[in-house]
Amino acid sequence: MSAVVSPALAARAGAPAAAGAPPLVVAHVAKSFDADGRVVPVIGDLSLTLNEGEIVAIVGPSGCGKTTLLNTLCGLIAPDAGRIGWFGKEMSGQPAGVGYMLQKDLLLPWRTALRNVMLGLEIRGVGLSEAEERAHVMLDQLGLHGFADHYPTTLSGGMRQRVALARTLVNEPDVLLLDEPFAALDFQTKLLIESDTARLVRESRRSVLLITHDIEEAVSVADRVIVLTKRPTRVKAVYDIALGTERTDMIAARESAGFVDYVRRIWADLDVTRQ
Amino acid sequence: MNGSPLPLRATAPGGVDAATQAAAARRLAAHRRARLRATLLVILSQIALLAAFLALWEYMTAFDKQAAFMFGSPSAIAGFLMTMARDGSLWRDTYVTGVETLLGFLVGNVIGTLIGLSLWYSRFVSRVIEPFVIALGSIPIIALAPIIIIWFGTGLTSKIAMSTLSVVIVALVTSYKGAVGVDEDQINLMRTLGASKFQIFRKLVVPASLADIFAGFKLTVGFALIGAIVGEFMSSSEGLGHAIFKAGSLYIIPKVFAALVATIALALVLTFIVGKVEKLLMPWRRLG
Repeated sequence: MSAVVSPALAARAGAPAAAGAPPLVVAHVAKSFDADGRVVPVIGDLSLTLNEGEIVAIVGPSGCGKTTLLNTLCGLIAPDAGRIGWFGKEMSGQPAGVGYMLQKDLLLPWRTALRNVMLGLEIRGVGLSEAEERAHVMLDQLGLHGFADHYPTTLSGGMRQRVALARTLVNEPDVLLLDEPFAALDFQTKLLIESDTARLVRESRRSVLLITHDIEEAVSVADRVIVLTKRPTRVKAVYDIALGTERTDMIAARESAGFVDYVRRIWADLDVTRQ
Repeated sequence: MNGSPLPLRATAPGGVDAATQAAAARRLAAHRRARLRATLLVILSQIALLAAFLALWEYMTAFDKQAAFMFGSPSAIAGFLMTMARDGSLWRDTYVTGVETLLGFLVGNVIGTLIGLSLWYSRFVSRVIEPFVIALGSIPIIALAPIIIIWFGTGLTSKIAMSTLSVVIVALVTSYKGAVGVDEDQINLMRTLGASKFQIFRKLVVPASLADIFAGFKLTVGFALIGAIVGEFMSSSEGLGHAIFKAGSLYIIPKVFAALVATIALALVLTFIVGKVEKLLMPWRRLG
């Protein structure tokens, strides 16, 4: 492991964390739900590792429990079995230094774009002027200069999702958990925001776990794609994606030689036709 | 790309040529005019409907003494309104009822909204008190009037109490519904940002409930007025309810209607004010 340690990671209190421990290790996690007295297993036995500065995509057939997995990782629900380790530490409650983004932008309609981005900083008690400054910088980096004082209702879907991304990144999370964040966007908007996301997280060497059902998105954005089975979910296959291009340009990624091959193999793995 | 196959027209600095821009402006203006015409037509129709109703009323009572006694007439009502305005009783009564309504509205909504919102904090407490809230809410307030007069006397306080009671349960229920209706994903987002329960309450639940709270405000303006008027019916020496009750007892029907007109005007003014405050406090709702 390199000596690159983000300030947020170094500053985390009480986490002298085993140097070089991967940001996220999931070992044999299982989760069932109770549906009218019937036990429905959602996650069968799932293990995966997210390394520092790595973008890992998780794809799976619809309804395979991807969102359950994400909520488990966030500490919003507890697993029935298995261990989740953040930075080499056993998980307890909400993990620190983890940002979270969903398909729904979840912007607060009574806050302007700027004040939405400031939300996390405000919660952590960062001073008003510093929070404003950092939120402005983040909005500018995502191409939203001049929209700081707009209310979400006056922004397009793509811009709203950019504000949501800014709200996540401004907290300088070491790890981002993204749950189909671009699924509702039109194709052009999606490519642009994917490129911006990849650029920003790769520049700062953040780790990303991207949950998606869009195979092309998974292959073009991620370093590694993990294919899940249908419920009860297990890991079916893992692909290390080597496209030999600049990994922040989604057009180039999609035009590269290996792209179609990966997409075809993952599509075959998903076994969609036989569902 | 060099050279488009289409003949290029001179373009304005904005990238759109002047003729297109002018046409767009014309279309927008025409659209606006059409919308204004439609609104104007609605208003004119409303005025015409009201005028026709008043004219029919006036005509039916003009040649029939008994009908005039039973139903009054628009001209007689207008006459009473003039007299009441001149002797000052119109203003005095409207003022008294207005103050009672406003205070009952404020006290009832503040108490109801505070309880309703804070119930969000504890699912346990809200489940415990739910049947009691429903029971209290189903009491017709008028049935409480005699007790209220005994407890609070015949003055202003008993009217405010009646008005408050008419408002408080509705305010509690609407604000609680708003608070528990907050999107679960939004709460999870706040939690992943590290928010404490109080921060979630302050920064998410309260502002997210504002729309429901204001819906409650609009509903309870009328309820507060009913409470005040009922209180005045039971026992009072002034106010619009008192004027209505007294004129009714003396069979002066046009005067009853005159006080009723003032009551309607009061309700409209209060509703208008609530609407204005809503727009002021929730500027984001004007957009989008």
